[in-house]
Amino acid sequence: MTLLKTIRTALIGIGSNVLRAVLTTLGIVIGVASVISMLALGNGARAAVEANFRNLGSDMVQISVKEKIDQGEFVPVGEILSYEDGLRMPKEVALVNRVIMAISGEGKVRHGFNVLDMLVSGTTADGLDNLAAQGNVQPIGWPDGEPLSGAAFVENGRFFTPAEVFSNADVCVLGYKTAEQLFGGDNPLGEIVWVNRRKCLVIGVLTELEVTNPALRNQAQPNEAFYLPISTAIANLFDQEPSVQITARVSDESQMAEARQQIADYLRLRHDVGKDEIGEWDDDFALTTRQDILGAQQQAARTFSFLLAAMAAVSLVVGGIGIMNVMLVSVTERTREIGVRLAVGARPQDIVAQFLLEAVLISGFGGTLGIAVGVLSIPLVANFNQGVALLDLDSIPLSFGVALLTGLAFGLYPAIRAARLDPIEALRYE
Amino acid sequence: MSEMRDAMAPVIAVEGLSKTYTMGSEVVEALRGVSFVVAAGAYVALMGRSGSGKSTLMHLLGCLDTPTNGRYWLNGADVSGLSRRHRAEVRNRHIGFVFQSFNLLPRLSTLENVMLPLQYRRHLHDAQPSEKELAAMALRQVGLGDRIGHKPTELSGGQRQRVAIARALVTNPALILADEPTGNLDSRTGADILDLLAALHENGRTIILVTHDAQVAAHADRILHMKDGQIVDEVTG
Repeated sequence: MTLLKTIRTALIGIGSNVLRAVLTTLGIVIGVASVISMLALGNGARAAVEANFRNLGSDMVQISVKEKIDQGEFVPVGEILSYEDGLRMPKEVALVNRVIMAISGEGKVRHGFNVLDMLVSGTTADGLDNLAAQGNVQPIGWPDGEPLSGAAFVENGRFFTPAEVFSNADVCVLGYKTAEQLFGGDNPLGEIVWVNRRKCLVIGVLTELEVTNPALRNQAQPNEAFYLPISTAIANLFDQEPSVQITARVSDESQMAEARQQIADYLRLRHDVGKDEIGEWDDDFALTTRQDILGAQQQAARTFSFLLAAMAAVSLVVGGIGIMNVMLVSVTERTREIGVRLAVGARPQDIVAQFLLEAVLISGFGGTLGIAVGVLSIPLVANFNQGVALLDLDSIPLSFGVALLTGLAFGLYPAIRAARLDPIEALRYE
Repeated sequence: MSEMRDAMAPVIAVEGLSKTYTMGSEVVEALRGVSFVVAAGAYVALMGRSGSGKSTLMHLLGCLDTPTNGRYWLNGADVSGLSRRHRAEVRNRHIGFVFQSFNLLPRLSTLENVMLPLQYRRHLHDAQPSEKELAAMALRQVGLGDRIGHKPTELSGGQRQRVAIARALVTNPALILADEPTGNLDSRTGADILDLLAALHENGRTIILVTHDAQVAAHADRILHMKDGQIVDEVTG
């Protein structure tokens, strides 16, 4: 029989009990849909990690304070990572030539009767340049591929100078939406804004920004921003001195290991870190380089792939058993039809082809439905992952192929059983 | 097979054909050394009670089974020891079956039922009419040219058996094997079917009719009586 005729015959076979065929595919539908949505989650998470660490150049060491959870709050395990730690680092660590520092905290921002409770950022003078370097946001309508610098983010006025950061100056820069909310349509430049109980001169307003990284689109609110010099933010927003995020830039990229060692030595000395009972440094800080992140990411990808393979295997077996079951029932019900086909000259391989194709069509239908369900469910599963889920295009042919293979593998036994029927017995079957 | 076929050879030649079944510990000799020859164009009835071995013989003649001993030449080719697959090809090309219970596929139309053997046909020749045309021709031959699109359930018993006969004819087989073709029909419709078989015989078809009914058997030119797995009597009309 030609393939076309075999397909037609198989379709007629499925048509004899459509509801049963649809129910049979449920396992495959769920399996394929979950593979697609899980891969989307993994894909989204990876993109988010990449976005968050894009600013970490290969010549940078990110320094963060080690924290533990105590009574539901994060508290440092040892000393905080202070502004002072960062400030002195370029002078005292030979291989570090510059540090980038940032901090953020809740603050009450007021102008006239307009009050905002918002996240206030404290940065160094190069804060906007660092934001530009991350490449996750850009001014609305910025041409693709055009190089971006911090200056392009400023619509009116200017950002802080290093002198203002050093001198704890009471100046601030407003995000586009923040400016609108505080001042309506008025020009904020030169006006006074209250941040908690301290006055602050508005020296700049940012242009309207858009998030270009899809992984961050639901999280980042770049226009609801309020920038203070980091020294001012520390003094104004916190009762106790807070930990700051420090990123150290190493002067010689070929000496990353040595630089790392120097930074650790410097912080251990300042924080008076000792060794634990097995002779390991009991550090209260953590150092991260791009190399570390890549390694962790690969490890996570391996774990994730393993989980996914396990899930695919389970859905394959469940879906496959469903198909095998329904095909065995179908072969029994259609014993007489098989007898007739054998009598008029169907060879065993014709019967195998007919039932195998029927199983593959059912699983292919289930796979198609599963792909649709999986793709449509991505926004739903994204809610469980802070809005981060991105369709992995490779997952569509992958999961469809797995579905077809399942139909083939589990349809084989019923098909062979059908082909082995004795035509005489089959013709007598009631 | 067909390559070695002798134009003058009989359609059927069997020699010492026997079939033994093992049922549990018991050995049943269903057929004990049957020999006969059927010439092309003959109309032969195979008569006997149930258990006489006529069904076993019919299964062997129809290449649905293989003999324990003996030889069977169909159209001059030895088909006694063929594999399942080759027997399927022989059935497809050389044998048309008509069953007591019609055995039409209920989900296929009349035309599609008749086309069924053609779907499994190999070695197609481009010059031949299409499968649809062949099937329509066969349906016209049995007087059902106007029932092409009907489902078997929409037809009477006699009409269904006509469809089954059309299905047996469509491949232009050397042999038509009819197993109690009137068994499920009332006597009037049964007579129509027997008339149809007689008409096919007139046109040169070789027909073997299996029946337990002497009146039905009387339509044939030659009656082989079977008992206990052997041919015990032969009547030529």
